[in-house]
Amino acid sequence: MAVHEVRVISLPELKDPRSESLLYEIRHSLNIHSVNKIVTAKVYRFEGISAREAEFLAQNLLAEEIFQRYTVNEPIINDADILVEVAYKPGVMNPEAGSILKAAADLGIQNLLAADSSYEYGFFGSVSDEEMRLILSRLLVNETVERVVREKPATLIIQGSPGKTKVIPISSMDNDALMELSRHNHLFLNLEEMRTIQKYFAGLGREPTDCEIETLAQTWSEHCVHKTFKSTLVVDGRRKKSMLQRLQEATSAAGHPLVLSAFVDNSGVMAFYEGLALCGKVETHNSPSAIEPYGGAMTGSGGVFRDIMGTGKGAKVIASTDMFCFAPPDLPAEEVPEGCLHPNYLLRRVVAGVRDYGNRMGIPTNNGSVHFHRDFRAKPTIIVGAYGIMPAEDARKGQPENGDIAVVVGGRTGRDGIHGATFSSGEMTNRTIDVNASAVQIGHAVEEKRMSDALLRARDNKLIKAITDCGAGGFASAFGEMGQHTGVRINLEKVPLKYPGLAPWEIWLSESQERMALAVAPQNLPHLMAICREHNVEATAIGEFTDTGKLEVYYGDERVCELDMEFLHHGLPQRIMTARRESRRVEVKEPGPPRDWVKVCTQIMSHLNICSKEPIVRMYDHGVQASCALPPFAGVSCSAPNDAVVLAPVPGKKYGAVIAHGLNPVLNTMDPYAGGIWAAAEAVSNAVAVGADPAELVLIDNFIWPYPDEESLYDLDRAVDACVDFVKVTGMPFISGKDSLSSTYRSSDGKVIKIPPVLCISCFGRVKDVTATVSSDFKRAGSSILLVGKRDINQMGCSIYFDIVGGRSPFIPLVDTAALVKVWRAVHRACRNGTVTACHDISEGGLLAALAEMCFGGSVGAEITVPEQARADYFLFNETAGCFLLETEDPAAVAEQLENVPWLLLGRTAAEKLISVKQGQDFLFAVPTDTLFESWRRPMQEVFGG
Amino acid sequence: MKPQVCILRTDGTNCDQETFYAFAKAGGSCRLVHINQLRSGAENLAHYQILAIPGGFSYGDDIHSGKVLSVELAAFLKEQLLDFVESGKLIIGICNGFQVLVRTGLLPRGEVGKISVTLMQNDSGHFECRWVNLLVEDTNCVFTRGMQGSMVQYQVAHGEGKFYTAESVLQEIENAGQVVFRYCDAASNRPTLKYPANPNGSLNAIAGICDQTGRVLGLMPHPERFVESFHHPNWRRFNGAEPHGIPLFRNAVRYAEENL
Repeated sequence: MAVHEVRVISLPELKDPRSESLLYEIRHSLNIHSVNKIVTAKVYRFEGISAREAEFLAQNLLAEEIFQRYTVNEPIINDADILVEVAYKPGVMNPEAGSILKAAADLGIQNLLAADSSYEYGFFGSVSDEEMRLILSRLLVNETVERVVREKPATLIIQGSPGKTKVIPISSMDNDALMELSRHNHLFLNLEEMRTIQKYFAGLGREPTDCEIETLAQTWSEHCVHKTFKSTLVVDGRRKKSMLQRLQEATSAAGHPLVLSAFVDNSGVMAFYEGLALCGKVETHNSPSAIEPYGGAMTGSGGVFRDIMGTGKGAKVIASTDMFCFAPPDLPAEEVPEGCLHPNYLLRRVVAGVRDYGNRMGIPTNNGSVHFHRDFRAKPTIIVGAYGIMPAEDARKGQPENGDIAVVVGGRTGRDGIHGATFSSGEMTNRTIDVNASAVQIGHAVEEKRMSDALLRARDNKLIKAITDCGAGGFASAFGEMGQHTGVRINLEKVPLKYPGLAPWEIWLSESQERMALAVAPQNLPHLMAICREHNVEATAIGEFTDTGKLEVYYGDERVCELDMEFLHHGLPQRIMTARRESRRVEVKEPGPPRDWVKVCTQIMSHLNICSKEPIVRMYDHGVQASCALPPFAGVSCSAPNDAVVLAPVPGKKYGAVIAHGLNPVLNTMDPYAGGIWAAAEAVSNAVAVGADPAELVLIDNFIWPYPDEESLYDLDRAVDACVDFVKVTGMPFISGKDSLSSTYRSSDGKVIKIPPVLCISCFGRVKDVTATVSSDFKRAGSSILLVGKRDINQMGCSIYFDIVGGRSPFIPLVDTAALVKVWRAVHRACRNGTVTACHDISEGGLLAALAEMCFGGSVGAEITVPEQARADYFLFNETAGCFLLETEDPAAVAEQLENVPWLLLGRTAAEKLISVKQGQDFLFAVPTDTLFESWRRPMQEVFGG
Repeated sequence: MKPQVCILRTDGTNCDQETFYAFAKAGGSCRLVHINQLRSGAENLAHYQILAIPGGFSYGDDIHSGKVLSVELAAFLKEQLLDFVESGKLIIGICNGFQVLVRTGLLPRGEVGKISVTLMQNDSGHFECRWVNLLVEDTNCVFTRGMQGSMVQYQVAHGEGKFYTAESVLQEIENAGQVVFRYCDAASNRPTLKYPANPNGSLNAIAGICDQTGRVLGLMPHPERFVESFHHPNWRRFNGAEPHGIPLFRNAVRYAEENL
């Protein structure tokens, strides 16, 4: 059927931000100056309707004549030197297509079969082929999901017939053949595991299907079952319990009274107030974000939101957090390893992905951080968190029973995320295009939003017995887990598909986003269906729970999988892994005292790990849900950062949730144990700095580590020791966690880059009254500044200061956790009684950076005195976690709360916007806060503009 | 009886709960109504005195922000909407709701199906969330009675908020006194075209307009995000002032109580 095209463009006299920002990037990121001008047009394609109907849509839907014009089946950019159209690849679902179909139907256009949209760019100037190639490959086209459209497609409809289920003759395979099967099919199973599978099917007296092999590989994958974390370890010859067991035992030994569920659900749950519960989950999405940062970040957000939506019987998502690690955005292009994307592009696209998913879902993104280190050039670390609220009585899943219905809700199933699969779509252009089934897809936030709306209604009507998200492993993982104590039978031919042509195993394993799996009692099914219909959400019964203890999967009459739940979930052989300490040699090079203090201070403030991240935060809707009681930035000009976010998620109630985090990758590289303690201390201190009660906080761990060879495993084990010891001393439990052990990059010439290990600790909890919390901005001139906490000031290893002046030391600041517990309690007491008017945690950059940020917020200056016995630069720039700056007008009253903890009166705030520093009676230096502010703001402004 | 407030929802609406709360706090009796309930006849606008179209990304803001919902409203609820306005009732569209009101044609001229002004992509090219200062103009808008001449602070959070129209239409709404809110500079209290005080490049610094009756209001900033003192980012720096969003919702509820 004919495809008709509508092109829409802004009137020439109007500003065209899309073209302008592209031109800016071409000039600034690629240093190409031959492009004089760009114009951008949107292209819509329709199949099934007439040209007249296409024109009707152009007039009534696509173009607004106040600022646009359109053409039908005609070019619209006629005078450009080069014209390029960029579209999603066939099979990558364009989220806009559904809206076009809906609006066309609402306008009375009945025959529209398919629609698509894309962008067309006209370039003006004498641009060389090589420059154009760079512009396309670096900025415009991500080949994982997009392509340049060179001819008008003959059809928009993807056709295909279902693939067949294959039997894999595993019984006769020798060891080599088994491993070849594992490698060839990307099963990532080792020989012992392959032989276990072989033996299981020998016992059954038959060969497995592709579906069964894939189900086992998925269920037994590192990603799903965390083999490394569950392995018994032999560390330098000494046997240790598995890392997961140690973490879980530490949490249960802590016996924290607020914990409702830890490590058993999609997120960890703690008690909130008035019969409500809070839950939290933090995930990583590194590999997808490395190849397609926009889609990868989106699906990362979407996935972690579904973890919250799939906790207990379903929670409402109330907050999102994002923590990123990249190489510096100004990394020379030739230093980017082959096959990797430039960090500047990665940073901007990841931010855009988080922005577009969170904002569209209506979830405030209001806590996060960005860290830079050259060694992230091969792969970024992308951490996304989500937090939710639900009735405490719904905090635990019910047990599906024989006869309960298995329901899939939300988006349709496609080939998304099926590793290495390709599909042919010869019908598209009369040529055969091999489409790399996207390992990443474009997230569809509105699909997830309406699904969330419907599911919360269903939960409140008590229609949901159990719910989980379809993430990694798709249905296999979701229903395999949900039915593990009973049995479940699924009929794959009932699953709604994005397009025909999927083999049964592909439907079963697909990782298409925006889907949830439910167990529903049969009598509740009609009500659930009605709620979903009202919310424009597709819901389909695809099977039922049984009492067979088996996972049975059918495609029509054909049985494509039958596995014993016992074998599936408990057949995986227990691993023993060995870890070995490798000695690190780091020379000690202590710098002399600085000659130019002002220069050092401005360099610290403009360091990428210190500088303001406000341009990023401004792109996230951090105010939606109207819950924010302490925003990420506040102060006189709303530009001073706070340590944590405080939310009042229940309208009309003053009780709230606090969310914070801590990480510092370079510390883990140097000393994984001390770095681990530092991260946890930093996370909790951030929460305490805003007024949270340390007794009402819980933790989430995320280990993002290189592939666990013996050395990396040793480091990982030490980081776990740090977490366990932290729980023992502080009594603060971990209630959720995740590991991702693939931060290793191998280039084609065999060179290996180990990405710095990251331990990110997130901290969340409850606060009785959000109006009794504290921000970081100084409130007035002339008040006292107190320094509280036990600092380890001569340990300067991995500090920003050493990075700037070229110092080196293996000795990173050690945190005395026992002393820190007392400091937290003291700071909390002082904040709670209202005598503290501002509080800020000292972290990277040290005391001076924290002080400067407090001055920015208050539009004031400060006069401080360094103790005579201290080395002044170390005193000002040391980064011991768990230390605080407090502002008060009543230092005596605050001092009363600080019994038994180290503190000193540091100085006073001043009306003049100047930080001046003395040591004893000697004047050291003075620096205008405006100077520091400018250097602090500039780096991210240069990346993001504005 | 308390005034009945219909908080309209659809796929991608996401400021419905806080809009509900703001009207409820002001004394309204609120109900979240999905557009499918209006289309099916299970709900009818005639039962309500106030219609609120909240912020969000209705249908993903595909094609244009608010466009798909506007098309749906114009196709299926045109009569109900026109009846609603003609019977003297109140409509407010906030952020995405404002985009919907201009794309249905209800603002500024009250002609469903005829678009005369638009909200374009921000000059900055991206979504932006920040607090802005707004000058409340002296108009007949019932939502801002008693607020005229004052400066209020609300949060904006949008990617497509640049008010744009033809010069003649701009003159028409200026002359008719339909501009209700303008972005202004905090120091001078005067309307500004300068970023970021004017966060999107709106013509004449226009942040919100009403129809000629003063009973249909659309604005990009979010008054519902400032109905508790602690909603303001700097509530710790000053005390006591009434949250700036409250009078707007209270005016609407009072007007409905007294007139409808």
